[in-house]
Formats: sequence, structure tokens, C-alpha cells
Amino acid sequence: MPIPGSGIFKGMATTLRNMFAPKVTRQYPEVRPEIPDRWRGRLDLIYDPFGEHKCEVCFQCAMVCPVEAIDMSGFDSQGNRIRYGMPEIYDERKDANAYRRAGLPARPMRNPARWDEEIDAQFVNDLVTGYDARAEALVAIFAAVQARFGYLPERALRIISDRTTIHWAQVFGAAGLGGFRLLPVQGHLVTVCTCAACRFAGGDAILRALTARLGIEPGETTDDGVFALETSPDVGAGALAPAVRIDTLVYGPLTDEHALHLIDERRHALDAEMRQPAPTAS
Amino acid sequence: MDMELLLGIGRFVLATTLLLLLTVPTAFIIIYLELKVIALMQLRVGPNRVGPAGIFQSAIHGFKVLAKEDFTPDQADRPSFTMAPWMVFMAAAMSMLVIPFAPGMVAIDSSIGVVYFFAVLGLSVVGLLIAGWASYNKYSLLGGLRSAAQMVSYEIPLTLSVVGIVVLTGSLSFTEIVEWQRVNGWAIIWQLLIFPAFFIAATAEINRTPFDMVEADSELVAGFATEYSGMRFGFFFFAEYVSLFIMSAIVVTLFFGGYLAPWPFPAQLDGFLGVLYGLFWFFLKTYLFVFLSIWMRATLPRARVDQLMGLAWKVLLPLTLVNLFVTAIIVTAFGL
Repeated sequence: MPIPGSGIFKGMATTLRNMFAPKVTRQYPEVRPEIPDRWRGRLDLIYDPFGEHKCEVCFQCAMVCPVEAIDMSGFDSQGNRIRYGMPEIYDERKDANAYRRAGLPARPMRNPARWDEEIDAQFVNDLVTGYDARAEALVAIFAAVQARFGYLPERALRIISDRTTIHWAQVFGAAGLGGFRLLPVQGHLVTVCTCAACRFAGGDAILRALTARLGIEPGETTDDGVFALETSPDVGAGALAPAVRIDTLVYGPLTDEHALHLIDERRHALDAEMRQPAPTAS
Repeated sequence: MDMELLLGIGRFVLATTLLLLLTVPTAFIIIYLELKVIALMQLRVGPNRVGPAGIFQSAIHGFKVLAKEDFTPDQADRPSFTMAPWMVFMAAAMSMLVIPFAPGMVAIDSSIGVVYFFAVLGLSVVGLLIAGWASYNKYSLLGGLRSAAQMVSYEIPLTLSVVGIVVLTGSLSFTEIVEWQRVNGWAIIWQLLIFPAFFIAATAEINRTPFDMVEADSELVAGFATEYSGMRFGFFFFAEYVSLFIMSAIVVTLFFGGYLAPWPFPAQLDGFLGVLYGLFWFFLKTYLFVFLSIWMRATLPRARVDQLMGLAWKVLLPLTLVNLFVTAIIVTAFGL
């Protein structure tokens, strides 16, 4: 049982102790806190005591940000996904290199992909619609897009991001980590010589083997755009018959196995470059 | 005879002028102390820009108040609105006349000093009430009415707790009360039990925390001072701190030996040295109680209005009455 009024003396003792305690005031203009050069303030969202984000996705911070560094997505009170602004506007101004933005080592682009490149946007749109624009279907959509275009065009990724309202950075991150290509591969032009000498030495058999292996007829390109097959009567390497020209190099004399090996070699090199074999189109 | 009268008038004028001048540094020092001490107790640094350790902060505040517009509300009752601050301030300043600051250093060594003191100090409630009424503002009026209720209630235990000392010393003159304490020891020894009651009543009388309902910022904006600005507000502010000083001085004079040193030596210092010695002890003890009041303000929350009234009528009043009877019986029985 505390004595009535004893709290007053306890409080007085506390204030007296505080009088001689170290002070918390920072004498700002004279004494400045040491802040690292790269410090840009707190970047993560604050949680409330119940473990929920305190951010209500009201967009106020994004609207007032002078350098438009903030874009955001979240759920409104009805549970609908909502998003502020064009996805990743900030990023576009900084760097158009897809590799660098995906966190991969940057390399000179052989075939620079542009975000505004012309692609079959309708195909991507229909594809996403077919999956009900569900976020869970992202990888399946990627696989279908890569099967269609041979890689994941940035434009397609943006359409996917817009339609599924998955944050652009997440879409791009997912595209960079799977077995997906962000750039079109440079195709190899495989030319089978159809001159008399080559056909006599077995050129027709090689053409049949390549057709079977690549799954395309002469004059066509494989789905992933890696190989284009054509025939030509004037490779001009009669001494090497039967001869096959891949890009600018002429190989010969070849057997069937040899020719297939040349193709496989290039595909393996490409896959190694892309780190993983491309998923087969479903 | 005429010469004596002229000398008396001259002495009175001089003393009054000095006391009025004294209120200025007193208020400045106490305001600075309040800013600084409360800041330190709240782990802040407090004023530290104007002058060394910010000692001129309150003086700057004073000049600021002077520079502000002296605004009168349209609906205010102009004469009383103008007069109220003056009245409050004069009540405080006039009550200083009977306080002995050192041996011989008293403006009027009145034989009814105690009565005069509490009578004049009680006048400030009239000023506050006028201020509250004249402002034509509900908060001001509430503040004024609260001050009337509070101060009228606490006048009674305040005065009754002093009567014990008056009975003991057999005098209503502050000088004689102090000199009695030189012989018999400080009155706090004789009236230890009633001192808390006196101190509480004194705190309530000058509207200090925890009894600052009159200004209760969180309830009444600024109470009676809501509509005041400029130097008229400054006078209220001045009066508040001057009366804090006066209350501390009266606590010291009545209970803690006034200008007497806590020890008996040197037994008797004469002349100028004795005055300085007395002044030193008087101001030291007074500012200790000023510090105590500031310390309380930094610590205690405001009491409720009903608690305030209950304390005055149900606790302090019976306590002081019992104290008065017991003191009277003892004095009569032992012939002190």
C-alpha cells in the first residue's frame, strides 16, 4: 500500500535526477550529425503494431516526389490492385541496358532491344488475357512469349507488367533469373550447298538430317530464331563437297553426323551463354 | 516635526521606487530560471542563445512584448480591460512594501504588516476577475471566475496557517516575527506540521502548478489573459512571477527566519555589512523556494477543479484550525 502523496516525491526525485542527466538536444547548426554520403533516408516501409504495412498506398509521396523516383502498387480497400504512374519511368531515363538493369554484367549489345521495338503486342495481350492476368501465371506467360519471339522483348515485359500490375522491377527480375533471354539471339544462317558436286557427294542426306534436327524446311527459321536454313547452288566450295556454310564459314567435306554436330555445337554455345537451356514452349 | 514627516515621505518614495525597480530584474531572473530549469529537467538544453547561457532570454522576451501590438477586442469593456493588468501588477508590487529584505531594509515597518500583506495580495483576484469580465471572451471569463473561486478559497487556509505564527510571536509585524526567530529559532521548528498546508495554499494563491486552473492552457487557452497582448499581457506575466517571488519571500520570512543566517554566528553584524549579509541570506532562501516552485511545475500535472476545492475546504481548513487551537493552547499553557 503506497503512502498517499508518495508519488509526488517520486516524481520530484525523477525530475531532479533528470536535471543533471545528459541532455538530448542537438545544437543543430553548430553540431551536425554524421550522415554517410550515400544516405538517402529510410527506404523500407514502417509496420504497425499488428504487423501490417503502415503505408496505405495513398500515392501522396509519389505525387510530391520532385524527381519522380517513387512509383508504387498495392491494394485498395476493395482488394483491387492499384498503381501509381507509369512503371519505372525513373529507370528509363537512367539506363536502357537490359542486362545492367537485370543485374547482369553489361556487354555490348549485338542487337539492341528497344522498349519501343515493334512486336506483336496483340499476341502478348491475348496471352495475358488467356491467363486472366493472374500474377501466378507469370512464368507460363514468359515461356509462351519466349516461344513466340525467341526471347522476352522488353516491350512484351512492359505489357505483362501493365496487365498483371506486377511491379515492373519484379517482372524484370523474374525474366532475368529464369531460363529466359532478354535479347534476341543472333541467328545462324545455315546454307546447304546444292551444287552438283555436293549433291553427288551426299548433300541431300545432310539437308534431310538438318531439316529433321531443326524441324524446319529450307527457307524457314527456327521458332527461337537461332537457325535459318536455306539452300544455295553456289556456295562455291566444290573441293569440299558436300559443303555447308554457316554464316561466313564453310565446312566440308561433311558427313551427316558432322553437320549435326556443327549445329548442336552452336546451340550449346548459345545455351551456355544464356546459362540455362531455354524452356521448351508448352 | 515637519522635517520628520518629509523624511518619512522621502523614505517611502525611495523605497517604493526601489521596489518597483526590483520587480523588473526579479521577474526576468525567475522567468529565465523557469525556462532553464524546466528545460534541464526535461533533458533539454533550454535558452542558450541570448547572452552567456542564455541569461538575457527573458529580457529579450520583455522587449518582444513591448514591440507587440497592444490589441483591444471590439466588445471589450475598455476602461476595465486597460485597468486589470495594472491592478494585478500593483497588488503584487504593493505587497512587497512590508517584506523585510534585511535588517532595516523594509519600506514600511508596519505593525499590522501581516494583515496588510494578505489583504493587498488578495486584491489581485479583483484584477483577474475584471480581466476575465472585460475581455468579452468565454475562456477569459471562465479563467477569471476560476481565479475568484480558487483564491477566495485558499485565502482562508493561507491566512489561518499564519495565525499560528502570529500567536506564537505575538506580533503582526514581519520585522518582529523575524527578530523573534533570531531568539527562538526558525518558526518552521515550531510550526512544522502546518508548513505544508501553508505552502500548498500559497502555491494555489499565486496560481502556480499544480493549481494553475486560472490559466490552464489546455482547457482555457490562457484563461483571463486570452485576449491580452503586448505590454498589458506583459504586466500579467510580470505580476505572476513577482508574486511567485513574493510568496517565496513570505515563506522564508514567516517560517525560515527571513534574512537570518541558518547559524547564529556572526551574532550581530552592524551597518552596511549586516544589510548585505541579510540580503544574501534572504535572496538565497527565497530563490531556493522559487526553485522549488519551478521544480514542482516541471513535475506535477494540473489538479482538477473539484480536487482543488475539496483540498481547500475539507483538508486544509480543518488542519489550519486545529493547528491554530493547539498553538493557542500551548502558548497559553506554557506562557510563551
